[in-house]
Amino acid sequence: MGIQATRIYRFDASGCNGCDIEVLEILALVSVAELGVEIVETPKEANVLLVTGGSNLKSKPELESAYAAIREPRLVIAVGSCAATMGIFKGGYAMTGPIDAIIPVDLYIMGCPPRPQVILGALADALQLKVEGMETLLRTPQGFRGDPHVDQGKCIGCGACANVCPADAIEIVESEAERLVRFMRKDCIFCASCQEVCPTEAVELRAGDSAWFRKKEASTSEARLERRTCLVCGTPFLPDAQMNWAMSRVDEKLELGTGDRSKLQRSLNICMQCRRKSIGEVREAKSILASLASRASGRGARC
Amino acid sequence: MVRSQSDAKTIVFEPQLCTGCRYCEVACAVWHCGRIDVAQSRIRILFDETRTTEHYSAINCQHCDDPICCAVCPPEALQKDEKTGWVTQNSSKCVGCEMCIVACPLSVPFFDAALKVAVKCDFCFGVPECVKHCSSGALRVYAREEAVRFNERLYLSAKEEQ
Repeated sequence: MGIQATRIYRFDASGCNGCDIEVLEILALVSVAELGVEIVETPKEANVLLVTGGSNLKSKPELESAYAAIREPRLVIAVGSCAATMGIFKGGYAMTGPIDAIIPVDLYIMGCPPRPQVILGALADALQLKVEGMETLLRTPQGFRGDPHVDQGKCIGCGACANVCPADAIEIVESEAERLVRFMRKDCIFCASCQEVCPTEAVELRAGDSAWFRKKEASTSEARLERRTCLVCGTPFLPDAQMNWAMSRVDEKLELGTGDRSKLQRSLNICMQCRRKSIGEVREAKSILASLASRASGRGARC
Repeated sequence: MVRSQSDAKTIVFEPQLCTGCRYCEVACAVWHCGRIDVAQSRIRILFDETRTTEHYSAINCQHCDDPICCAVCPPEALQKDEKTGWVTQNSSKCVGCEMCIVACPLSVPFFDAALKVAVKCDFCFGVPECVKHCSSGALRVYAREEAVRFNERLYLSAKEEQ
């Protein structure tokens, strides 16, 4: 695509306007005219469609006609979480998106909203523009958070991050053999709650990676955890790593006798349903707790 | 370690006295969430007629001296009150990692899907409802020391592990 021919038409498909403000912020960063890009007022003149928002019942026909009107070769850039996944509007009664359900999308820019520097970087990449000092512009500024990354080695798969995430950007997928913790960075609003609650500091919101993607699936960060099989019913339940972490934490904080420790170890190999199903298992569990209590009371008497 | 547990109390369960009426489950659910939803009950009664002895068992918090749930809780939302002996959970601190549910051998805490936190027995902050409504007297409140001896007899001496 020749630089001279780049004409951008902006389309707001019912977002909160946060992304639109960030798009306009580009004008403060660079002179668009110098880059050879023109921002046009009607889709007929354009060949690039810059879409923000997740599309609702009213904007859907407009979006379709705008896409039909822009010139070939068409390039559609979806800006922000809403355009990619409907973001915080997911499940809304009037929502018809995400954008790629309506028209083909060539590039997704992540963020809620994406920083103007990131939008500029994505445009520069997609339209082969040369921007002075792009490297510096793309770097996440001091004091700002980047996108979430999960460390496969540290993650124990407990799911605390998924429970606190206000944007539903983290999903737990369970298959027969493993539990998958998937961070969908396009949904992320950079609140860093996941980083804060992670018991093993496996999540980090760090800067550096490119924040735009040709394929939606590429924008994930994942950890895969092997699941432990229940001793009693033989079905896989929680991740091995989580059980081992719990045991190491117990070893760190409490002084268990060898008998109690091996019993507790066994109880960690039993799924939560089986622990509470039979009187025999409950008895076994209560005997661990009774033995711990009797040790503790003995200790109290000595002191 | 010095322990000032003179006031500490614990709920004990005597299997021989239980009739399986499950009023405790109902009372617990009503007190804690205002409706008869035994899935929300912090206590659970098991019944197994195929066993020769001990047809009933209760899954209830033992309010341990060295609670495993407190040891594994990353944000320290679970705390043992040294004075009252209650192991209680602070739901504003809980992050929903389910570590307590995993670590407790009885799996006493459970995950509240609506609040996205773990919940557990809180001793009703006084007189437990399950004990108050137990018609047969199987559930009782004992002083800590007495309860430890009671549970030793029930769960340890039979197996001659002491």
